[in-house]
Amino acid sequence: MTSPPPTATPVARPPGPAPEKPGDGPGKDPEDRSAADRLLWRAARHSGGRGAAILVCSVASALAALAEPAVLGRALDLLLGHDPAAGRLVLLCTALIVAEVVLDAVVALLTGTTNARSTAWLRGRAVTRLLAASPEHAARFAPGDLATRLTANATEAGTVPASAAAGLAALLPPLGGVAALLLIDAWTAAAFLAGVPLLLLLLRAFARSSTESVSRYQRVQSAMAGRLLETLAGAHTVAAAGTAARERHRILTGPPGLPELAAEGRAMWLVYGRAVAHSGVLMPVLVCVVLAVGGIRLAQGALGVGELVAASRYAALAAGVGAVSGLLGAVVRGRAAARRTAEVPALPPLPHGRALLPPGGPGALELRGVTVERAGTAVLADVDLTLPGGATVAVVGRSGAGKSLLAAVAGRLLAPDRGRVLLDGVDLAALDPAELRREVGHAFARPALFGATVGAAVAFGAASPDDGAVRSAGRAAGADGFVQRLPGGYRTPVADAPLSGGERQRLGLARAFAHAGRLLVLDDAMSSLDTVTQREVERALTQQVRPGTRLLVTHRLSRAAGADLVVWLDRGRVRATGPHHELWRDPGYRALFAVPEPDTEPAPAAAPVPPEADR
Amino acid sequence: MTAAETETDTHTGTGTETVAGPVEARAAAPAATEPAGPEAPGVAAQGRRFLWRRRRVLVALGGWSLLEAAHTFLSGYGVAKALDDGFLAGRTGTGLLWLAVAAAGTLLGGLAVRGVFTALAGLVEPFRDGLVRRAVSGALAAAIADPARADNSAVSRLTHQSEIARDSFAGLVLTARSFVFTGVGALVGLASLDPALLPVVLPPLLLGLALFLSTLAPMAAAQRAFLDADEALSDRVGAVGAGFRDVVACGGQGVIGAELDRLIAAEARLARRLARWAGVRTLALGAAGRLPVVALLLAIPWLLRGGATAGALLGALTYLLQALLPALHALMTAFGAAGSRLLVVLERFRADPALPDSAAPEAASAFPDPGPPGAASALPDPGPPGAASAAPDRVALGAAPPLPARVLSESAPAVPEPTAPEAVPVCPRPGPPGAAPAPTGPAAPEDPGPPAAELRGVTFAYGPGARPVLDRLDLTVRPGEWLAVVGPSGIGKSTLTALLAGLLAPDRGTVTLGGALARDPSGRAPLQRRTLLPQQAYVFSGTVRENLRYLSPDASAADLRRAVAALELDPLIDRLGGLEATVGPERLSAGERQRLALGRAHLSRAPLLLLDEATCHLDPDTEERAERALAARPGTTLVVVAHRISSALRADRVLLLDGDRALCAPHDELLARSALYRDLAGLWETG
Repeated sequence: MTSPPPTATPVARPPGPAPEKPGDGPGKDPEDRSAADRLLWRAARHSGGRGAAILVCSVASALAALAEPAVLGRALDLLLGHDPAAGRLVLLCTALIVAEVVLDAVVALLTGTTNARSTAWLRGRAVTRLLAASPEHAARFAPGDLATRLTANATEAGTVPASAAAGLAALLPPLGGVAALLLIDAWTAAAFLAGVPLLLLLLRAFARSSTESVSRYQRVQSAMAGRLLETLAGAHTVAAAGTAARERHRILTGPPGLPELAAEGRAMWLVYGRAVAHSGVLMPVLVCVVLAVGGIRLAQGALGVGELVAASRYAALAAGVGAVSGLLGAVVRGRAAARRTAEVPALPPLPHGRALLPPGGPGALELRGVTVERAGTAVLADVDLTLPGGATVAVVGRSGAGKSLLAAVAGRLLAPDRGRVLLDGVDLAALDPAELRREVGHAFARPALFGATVGAAVAFGAASPDDGAVRSAGRAAGADGFVQRLPGGYRTPVADAPLSGGERQRLGLARAFAHAGRLLVLDDAMSSLDTVTQREVERALTQQVRPGTRLLVTHRLSRAAGADLVVWLDRGRVRATGPHHELWRDPGYRALFAVPEPDTEPAPAAAPVPPEADR
Repeated sequence: MTAAETETDTHTGTGTETVAGPVEARAAAPAATEPAGPEAPGVAAQGRRFLWRRRRVLVALGGWSLLEAAHTFLSGYGVAKALDDGFLAGRTGTGLLWLAVAAAGTLLGGLAVRGVFTALAGLVEPFRDGLVRRAVSGALAAAIADPARADNSAVSRLTHQSEIARDSFAGLVLTARSFVFTGVGALVGLASLDPALLPVVLPPLLLGLALFLSTLAPMAAAQRAFLDADEALSDRVGAVGAGFRDVVACGGQGVIGAELDRLIAAEARLARRLARWAGVRTLALGAAGRLPVVALLLAIPWLLRGGATAGALLGALTYLLQALLPALHALMTAFGAAGSRLLVVLERFRADPALPDSAAPEAASAFPDPGPPGAASALPDPGPPGAASAAPDRVALGAAPPLPARVLSESAPAVPEPTAPEAVPVCPRPGPPGAAPAPTGPAAPEDPGPPAAELRGVTFAYGPGARPVLDRLDLTVRPGEWLAVVGPSGIGKSTLTALLAGLLAPDRGTVTLGGALARDPSGRAPLQRRTLLPQQAYVFSGTVRENLRYLSPDASAADLRRAVAALELDPLIDRLGGLEATVGPERLSAGERQRLALGRAHLSRAPLLLLDEATCHLDPDTEERAERALAARPGTTLVVVAHRISSALRADRVLLLDGDRALCAPHDELLARSALYRDLAGLWETG
């Protein structure tokens, strides 16, 4: 294996904010696009009145701008001729200019408020749908990517309605300018139009070369970001080894690193400068050409000075298609951003029903023909299980056997592709979501904590247990001791609490205990506890936590031995079910524990399924 | 430049309308609204230094800009002359000639713009480089100060925010420069057309500018609040995304939804506030750009009486509408939007924290002068940093095993033997237990050398009000000893290794390694004295060789082979594609990462190895072989925070932490003395 060129090395999917996607151009999928457009359309309708107001004000401002040169020219002519009627025209011209200024200010205000409104609407919608989705589907967005979609992308998408409205009005001055030129003198219009194709050509040339250097630039950036993320993930080692300076050098110089970034950056400026120079030259030259033709007509007596002034202004207005293209560009970018945002509300919801559980049920869990497929392969295949209420059931098996999937399906963090999961006889799919989360709790190997303080993190959930319940859950989970050692005890902000993996795990357990219902799913949730703590937690689980069915995913022999029932998973299938001592006769089963396998699970995955590379 | 402006659109503004167009469009967006407020003197001072170092680029920029001013001058002057001397005088040829001069001036302007951009790149790219360096240094400094909370928001600083700053900075330089030079060209032009034009045009222009300037401070505040709100939302969404499984599992969607809705509404409110300021700013722009035209119009009878010509009026209008107005637009947009964003973003980049340079502090802390008097004098003078600090250790590794101890032993008499308090008996070093023969004879028991590591009365708490994690702990680890640290989770085992490694400073008491302070008063750790392997093994994108040599970059091929052989890494390395194969953290399992890290530790030259559950992802067999291989490394003192009781069985002595007391004794003795230990051992054996 030869090392691939650095640029080809895929950057680790950053767990943090995603770098801007290079060349995140128009999506290829027409379905995505129409979904995004539908979303934008609904956002626009949400602020329909404001959008209309923007359109009206922009049009009025454009009309004033179009009228101004003619009035100005006429006023100039009259003033030069010392005509007393000039006063009225000067007033009219002043009024037009003032109206333009005021209307522009109103448009700016309305655009800002409309953008704010549209953005908030888009975000609200994305949040609502996100929260209704299953973790597995949501996991396709890396956290930073999700944040980008809901912040920067949503902001950009939110400008589309206002930009579209303003863009329509922005068409008026160029079109009106050409028309006015025609009215003043056909020759000036002809001179102007001859120069336009050149303008368009130049603009296109820029569009091509610029995006290339931009995407190369962004590739270098994301390579650097990837290295930074790696180093941050290894912060413990870097701190201990005192290698921060070396890491800094590695991150910055790559390759590709700062030298490449600067080279691409310079290329971008040159391309950009060339384009600006070209388009900057073009407009005044066009005006000069119009003036030349107008001057000749003036010398011929076909035009007055005022009309020449007007013609030069109209030529400038007509050349100002930049405004249109700018707004058009905003719409194009906004649509691209909307596609990224729209993928969030397009997440399929995790279906729920309205059914309630029979009160006081024991928590009997039944899986019937449960199948979960990934990329066409069954990762859980036809799992049939009947777990008696109140039983402690261990799920064992090698890494990748589907243990965590089984745990997720049992607690409906994941809807099976086929088959049903019944809790006390009620299909989880038909169960009311509030009832579901009240009665089914989870704890994980690597819990994510929510809540401002450690206490709030334990209390987090559908219901809010009081301080006493939080503390007793903390005691049951073996967390009370270290929480007391934190600077502010349970009131310590989570952000200020130096928590180890095992401590987080115990807070996750405490959270599950504080909300315990009839089924508790512990997915490897004690893996980081030492055996004494583990034994204490187990004791507390039986004595202090609300009784119910426990489903434990575990690698440890002691846990399997202590369970009422063991489910042995092997490559997505149930290989055997039974008490530990019965299974123990099977050499294959013993092999699971004989040499505890090294932990081959890939690095912390927040969700059952590793996030896909985002698109 | 339509789709073209993917990245660079904010820095338009070269004084032409085609360019100003998109700027106007953007200016209306609320996100792009803000001014330069009362900026921190720090930013200003650093900015001045930055510019001073790039005088030559600035001179080039000025030169090209002067050309642009000439272009502006010609644009109005040529038009005026064309009318007065040409078309109105019936001399069409002269008129065309003057227009040709104006057009030529435009071409000159185009040339100037290209030159300006070239010079601009010379200013902006180093600026961005500096920001990226700061972002990386800042992130690393924060991460090593508190590894448990390494924060990925720095990535946004590296990519997103540095780009905002780069674009904003470029936009400011472009437009400010353009406005100044266009203004100079236009004013000179107006004065040469008819000096009477100046008093007519200047007052409304200055009035508008003043209005604009007065909005800067409040807009900066509004923009800052807006950006903060945006960041808060972004952080929260990121956290929810990272922990979404937990949100669903807890049924916390309602709580989280309400929280996010609040953040979204707060940001929308701030965006509306910004929109109002955008309206005010547009008014200011209108006043500055359009009122001069009105003034000119009203003053025409007066100007005509003063002898102004039709050409002069047309020229004046050309200056006002075709040069000044677009330059103003660009300036206000840049200062309104980019300026404040730049300031807000720059504040996050303010300091460039000095990172410890790996060579220098080692020398300083490995041989600290304030250490035990004898030790310092007995040691060779460290001399210049890097070289000297590395040398003794290289000798130590290459030569006879117990050399570090021997070197130190020369200074030993000066080091007082610690008095063992009653509660924590410092047990005599037992011979290698039968179960775990430590192959390299550790320093002989009678060796009076200073302890490899020593804690005296160490107390440490994570906060003034918190219960101490370690309370008056005394511990002596002898050179060559193998110590296992056991105790319930969260009892302070990791804290102990961090104290030994000099990463934390004790609240009370002292920690010494080989007689020298583990953490010198300036907070530096003795890198050459100890290697700490944390539970989270670090593998970076690079070759296997680079990863293995991480702690000793100049290790020889033979050293590398020895380490690989000792830790039986050959199959793993073969599978990865050999020593030269590129690996990345995402392609290795946690266990594989730990194995590479163990190889790295073997290769390091530090005599004291601290393993903080560094083998937790390995199976017991591999773990045992790895521990033995490290213990067998010449001159090694090994402290292992045990993940399994088997680690304790192999060790010479076991330190049992139980929160209130600490006991240190060989395994058998501890079994006899501690119920907790019996409990731990019993459970671990079955587990």
